[in-house]
Amino acid sequence: MILDGIRRAAVPFAPAAAPLTSSNQSHDLIEQFLAVLASVGGAGVVRQRDQSVDALLQSFLGDAWTAAVVVPGRFAVAENGAVYVDAADLASRTDIVRSEHLVLRVPANRLVPTMHEAVRLMPADSACGWFLSGPSKTADIEQALVIGAQGARTLHVLLDPE
Amino acid sequence: MTPTHPEAAKKFLADPGRSDWHDQALWFIRAKRDRATDLPEWEALRDAGAAMKAHAMSRLGELLEEFERRAAASGITVHWARDAAEHNHVVRDILTAAGVKRVAKSKSMLTEECGLNPFLAAAGIEVVDTDLGERIVQLAGEPPSHIVLPAIHWKKEEVGALFHVHMGTPEGESSPDALAAAGRDHLRDALLHADAAITGANALIAATGGVVVCTNEGNADLGMHSAPVHIVCVGIEKILASLDDLGVLLRILARSATGQPITAYTTHVTAPRPGTAMHVVLVDNGRTQRLASPEFRSALHCIRCGACLNTCPIYRRSGGHSYGYVIPGPIGAILAPSVDLEAHRALPFASTLCGSCGDVCPVRIDIPAQLLAWRARVPAKPALFARLGRLLADRTRFERVGRWARRVVRLVPTQWFGGRWNAWTRPGRALPVVPAESFRDWARRTGRRK
Repeated sequence: MILDGIRRAAVPFAPAAAPLTSSNQSHDLIEQFLAVLASVGGAGVVRQRDQSVDALLQSFLGDAWTAAVVVPGRFAVAENGAVYVDAADLASRTDIVRSEHLVLRVPANRLVPTMHEAVRLMPADSACGWFLSGPSKTADIEQALVIGAQGARTLHVLLDPE
Repeated sequence: MTPTHPEAAKKFLADPGRSDWHDQALWFIRAKRDRATDLPEWEALRDAGAAMKAHAMSRLGELLEEFERRAAASGITVHWARDAAEHNHVVRDILTAAGVKRVAKSKSMLTEECGLNPFLAAAGIEVVDTDLGERIVQLAGEPPSHIVLPAIHWKKEEVGALFHVHMGTPEGESSPDALAAAGRDHLRDALLHADAAITGANALIAATGGVVVCTNEGNADLGMHSAPVHIVCVGIEKILASLDDLGVLLRILARSATGQPITAYTTHVTAPRPGTAMHVVLVDNGRTQRLASPEFRSALHCIRCGACLNTCPIYRRSGGHSYGYVIPGPIGAILAPSVDLEAHRALPFASTLCGSCGDVCPVRIDIPAQLLAWRARVPAKPALFARLGRLLADRTRFERVGRWARRVVRLVPTQWFGGRWNAWTRPGRALPVVPAESFRDWARRTGRRK
């Protein structure tokens, strides 16, 4: 029925959008990623080889660090501070929203400039995946930005050494 | 009979302080959008946005079938609904079959379009809207006044009074932090204990059979990954061919909507969790009819970012409810007439034709041109306008009447033209002084035109 209607509409063929490549001029993707992440309410750090993850989390979250949920990210996007997380790497899909404090660990050499490169890295066999950019937020009450809506109240990204 | 846009707008404008406040709140978001779109490749991105949507519309049937094939292969049940009623019945039947009593719903303009909430309520199924702004308007018994910011017309003191009644916040509490915290507890409870989750979709990807949902609050994810049943309600025009197209969409959507580089949560889901059910309801409800019209087809390209609302001087000053249609603002003013031209005949005129909506549209829908085209289709022009049309078409008669009018109008007291019957001279507006001669006469007299 609906498909019949679509056929009857006889829309002439329009070519696909020409693929865009990044014109992201940033030479230091890590620096750009960390700056954008901070601007969206998150925080990130490049972990040095001799720094323990636990000590870093404690420095970020104080006593709350034990409640943090740490999940691996596959890669990160410099232009928007997002980290791609795939459900295949999690115990439960709710891991990314249930906890108050979310920590994402991404290899520091897995940064891409923009979403054009990012979507090409999404795994072909993914059942579910996310681009997560900063903590949960709302501005539904008089446009006042409140961090920590229904999901995570804090979001930290550790860029791990290779 | 619902009031026309000018009648409803008059009510909103009766409180000039509120109208100014509303205007400023939206202009603030427009300014954020301007900063976020300050990219060297922004215009190229808009070209790509327009091209990917035109491409998807030109292969709509094929792409929807590809989506259905892939989604079904990974365990998603795909339903087709010709109109709002069929959509509502499909959703209700899924819910009743699963014995669902409580539903957590995240933002979906499509379910607003179909009137799903009242339909499910009548079937004894409770729906909690879980976006904070949507919950505010739901508790107040109102429709959203904006497609991205449903409660943009609410002041924090009013939200405080509402939450005091429904969530037990202290009387007089109006801090957004405290109110959002109360909302968080209230909504997380609904989200984690619902029997089913309903979400909209920002895109369907034919190449992956995937559903893409964007939120800032995380409510869609909490709902869909917690409940045993997940239903996605989506209009057929949301299909995109590829993940490359998704890359473009995600670069333009949040930047245009709220001035963010991307939403906090962007979910791409192609399969239900093991042991749970996932349904996608593909809804037509007039879309194929629009597709058949070359003139108005591109309105289907809309990605529902709301940029045209935020920039529109009429929307900002008259409020979303004045449009009397589920989608307000410039995009609503070109969508509503195709649903019911008679009921929405005033909407194509709710515009100054300043062109700003077209300039900010990230997929380059020529909204001003469509507003004009709809104006031409509004039927039954009053006889006065038909006569004026003949007059304007006849230069000799026009000049004769002009000379007569310039003499007569100056002799008539201005109060005659003022008064309630003339919208152009309501208090605050004055008629300009009538010139002694016409532009044409002036040009002839001064020798500029022979």
